[in-house]
Amino acid sequence: MVRLRIGVLIASAAIVFAACGGATSSSAAPPASQAPTTSAEASVQPSAAEASPKDGGRMVVGLPGDMVLADPTLVSDSNSSSIELNVVEGLLGVKAGTLGDIEPVLATDLPTKSADGLTYTFKLRTGVKFHDGTDFNADAVVYNYERQKNAPKELRDAYNYYFGAVFGWAENSNLVSVKAVDPTTVEFKLKTPQSNFIIAQAPLPQFGIQSPTALKAGDADNPDPSKSKYAQGQGTGMVGTGPFKFKEWVPSDHTTIAKNPDYWNKDRVPHLDEVIFRPFADQSAELNALQAGDIDLAQTILPSDVDTLKTDPKYQVVDRGESCNVGHLAMNHAHKPFDNLHIRTAIAYALNKQSYLDTFYAGLAEAADNWMPPASQYYKKLNLPTYNLDKAKAEVAASGLSGDALTLELHYPSDTARPYMPDPKGLAEAIASDLEAAGFKVTFKTAGWRTGYTADEALGKYPMWLLGWTCDWPGPDNFLQTAFFHFDGNKPNPEFAYGPPALKADFDKGATAPDDATAQAAWNDAQDILAKDLPTVPLVHSKPPAAAKADVKGFLGAGNLNEPLYPVWLDR
Amino acid sequence: MLKYIIRRLLGAIPVLLGLSIVVFSVVHLIPGDPIRSLLGQHATPELVVEIRARMGLDRPLYEQYFIYLGQLLSGDLGKSVVNNRTVIDELTSRFPATIELTVGALLLSIGLGVPLGRLAARHVQQWSDGVITVLSLLGISIPIFVLGYTLQYIFAAQMHLLPASGRLDPRLDVHFQTNFVFVDSILALNGEALFDAFKHLILPAFALGTIPFAIITRITRAAVLDVSNEDYVRTARAKGLTDSRVNSRHIMRNAWLPVTTVIGLQVGGLLAGAVITETVFSWPGVGSYIVNAIQDHDYLVVQSTILLFALIFLVVNLIVDIGYAFLNPRIRYS
Repeated sequence: MVRLRIGVLIASAAIVFAACGGATSSSAAPPASQAPTTSAEASVQPSAAEASPKDGGRMVVGLPGDMVLADPTLVSDSNSSSIELNVVEGLLGVKAGTLGDIEPVLATDLPTKSADGLTYTFKLRTGVKFHDGTDFNADAVVYNYERQKNAPKELRDAYNYYFGAVFGWAENSNLVSVKAVDPTTVEFKLKTPQSNFIIAQAPLPQFGIQSPTALKAGDADNPDPSKSKYAQGQGTGMVGTGPFKFKEWVPSDHTTIAKNPDYWNKDRVPHLDEVIFRPFADQSAELNALQAGDIDLAQTILPSDVDTLKTDPKYQVVDRGESCNVGHLAMNHAHKPFDNLHIRTAIAYALNKQSYLDTFYAGLAEAADNWMPPASQYYKKLNLPTYNLDKAKAEVAASGLSGDALTLELHYPSDTARPYMPDPKGLAEAIASDLEAAGFKVTFKTAGWRTGYTADEALGKYPMWLLGWTCDWPGPDNFLQTAFFHFDGNKPNPEFAYGPPALKADFDKGATAPDDATAQAAWNDAQDILAKDLPTVPLVHSKPPAAAKADVKGFLGAGNLNEPLYPVWLDR
Repeated sequence: MLKYIIRRLLGAIPVLLGLSIVVFSVVHLIPGDPIRSLLGQHATPELVVEIRARMGLDRPLYEQYFIYLGQLLSGDLGKSVVNNRTVIDELTSRFPATIELTVGALLLSIGLGVPLGRLAARHVQQWSDGVITVLSLLGISIPIFVLGYTLQYIFAAQMHLLPASGRLDPRLDVHFQTNFVFVDSILALNGEALFDAFKHLILPAFALGTIPFAIITRITRAAVLDVSNEDYVRTARAKGLTDSRVNSRHIMRNAWLPVTTVIGLQVGGLLAGAVITETVFSWPGVGSYIVNAIQDHDYLVVQSTILLFALIFLVVNLIVDIGYAFLNPRIRYS
């Protein structure tokens, strides 16, 4: 069938399948019940069918958009991260093919933590060199963290997002100091204990260590990134220690990374000579490019295209395993009638989530029972209301509202597809149909994803809308707090206008817990509060599918798209 | 002639100035702003205010306009607030792609449109005229994106005859020097890359060229028919000149004038069409750049790129006017 997606075309730039709100798709952290893997040498073994990897070849990967800047600290989009995580490594990382199997990378082991939870000490690997030939050591680690902590004001928030989100900047940073104790030991001192210290940093290339020499030579800290050779990738850029080296970036055309034959981890020297990333603004065009042989792997395809490719032996569809996202029907309690718990409960009972899974997700999703996916740290089953039309009608009656008071204004984005909502308009219509069956009247409003939708909902302008979140790291703070119900000081954020003081207390307690048990108790309590108040309705956790030619072997998908390419080889 | 060219170029200045005001106003009238695109879900009321001030977007509009104008006059086209690349850098890398695409589409439409228009005129009211008329009607009525996806699906995804996207297979490893892939392939003495670039150009050029092809075909047919009925053509035939000589010397020479005008006007249409074609074929040109910029409310990028489009349109039409003088020696500019 010829695929003609008019809306997507007209809004071509709406980059499909990027992480929510510009957040990188990254991941991390194990559920509390799982101890993080500590072996630095654990490598991904090919399956029996792929027992003899072949070295060599160039692979072309289709991404939903172009790299933004060649300095990982200045990007927060999933396209840049997908490229840069192959080149720049941090002290910690996440095992390929997993969401939260944390492992030491440039550190020799997970850090030791002081009893008060304020000091973390890392031992570093020796003999590791950056791609420019300079030495990786404790001074390089200190330089990298100090540079981010004291980033020029012009670069904060809009560009350098993650450091601020995890630690905060300059004198407001929770990171008091990073000190080189000796060439192979680094000590991090915190103002207050920070329970996401490991889980937040491990998956993000934004915490990667880059060559101080290259950063200085490329003017990487210029407050205007357009004037930085490093950020612009002009002959230099992302000089890390990873299995691939940055080769070239032809903006809007392609980015090439090449095998690092001197990679320090001999078990993980890449099989491929080069990987070339190409941006596609439109997913139909990307699928056609895969079928035409222009690309070898499409990082994301629409669930509606899965069946077409599954039946053709020339291609394979990659199931990404565990989900690391949530799609939800958001509500703002400052808009009536969403301040009414009966109304929110009625909506939750009215929605037939299973029918959405069947219609829009090609089976690659599960109905959500929490605001975070089951793979998240401290996840618990909440037994939220499930589809029951009678109960929905009863809750509407109990609300005491009728007539125009039951008219709901539903917003959806007009020009995008996201991993957690591949067809926003279709999903909005299905939801409206369910709500009308329960006695509501629904009116639609729509806006472009980048032309105001995400900002307007964040600023509290929408009463009810479709949204979701792809994890930066699979921790409760990243979903419950960062993505949804964070506080501005003591006030609930304007996006949802919801947040009882007890929730804030749990968030604060969980975020600053010095030990795992305290953190777990606080986050459990926070989830119970949410289940009781039902501030919005979680809908699905999806696994965005990837597709590749059948001869692409060893690719290890992860639900957060944090996918190192060193294990990949071409069976040609 | 030189005076004429200088006068025309000087005349372009107020046009561009007026256009800069119009574009500036229209871009700022669109609801939303680049800060909201930039911050997305990270937006908070405080952050929006702070970054708006940081970028000077909180100043009065007229002040922003004069700052922009001052930058323009000093040769600074500004930079994107989204990826922070300067507009000059982006245009330097992207403009060659759009030029190759539009030139390809134009050559295709002239190469097919003029001969078919002549053929239709010579066999007017016969079946071949009918077939060509239907073809040109199809060409003008099928939207570019429908044709683009259809061509991509049939010739690339299913038949594997041509590539579906991009300008060059990146696996060929051609070093970009001029950003014109044809030129760079030749400079690298890489025949495989040259052939690959040609294959990549065919489908997008065809999708983009169908509307100008249809118009050129119709105009050529009408012009040839018109000229064929002139007295001097009848006289030429009466003198016993051969058919081909009458065609080339007397009919086409005169029929070229309206056709040339139309070709000049098509350049504007091609630039507009490139916006869609480049998106469908992942062609890294100025068209896809401006679509992204409009979506992001990237003011400076939109303003500068539209001004550049206008400048091109003005220059191409000047070239067309000058071309008249060569086609018709009776036309003299002073």
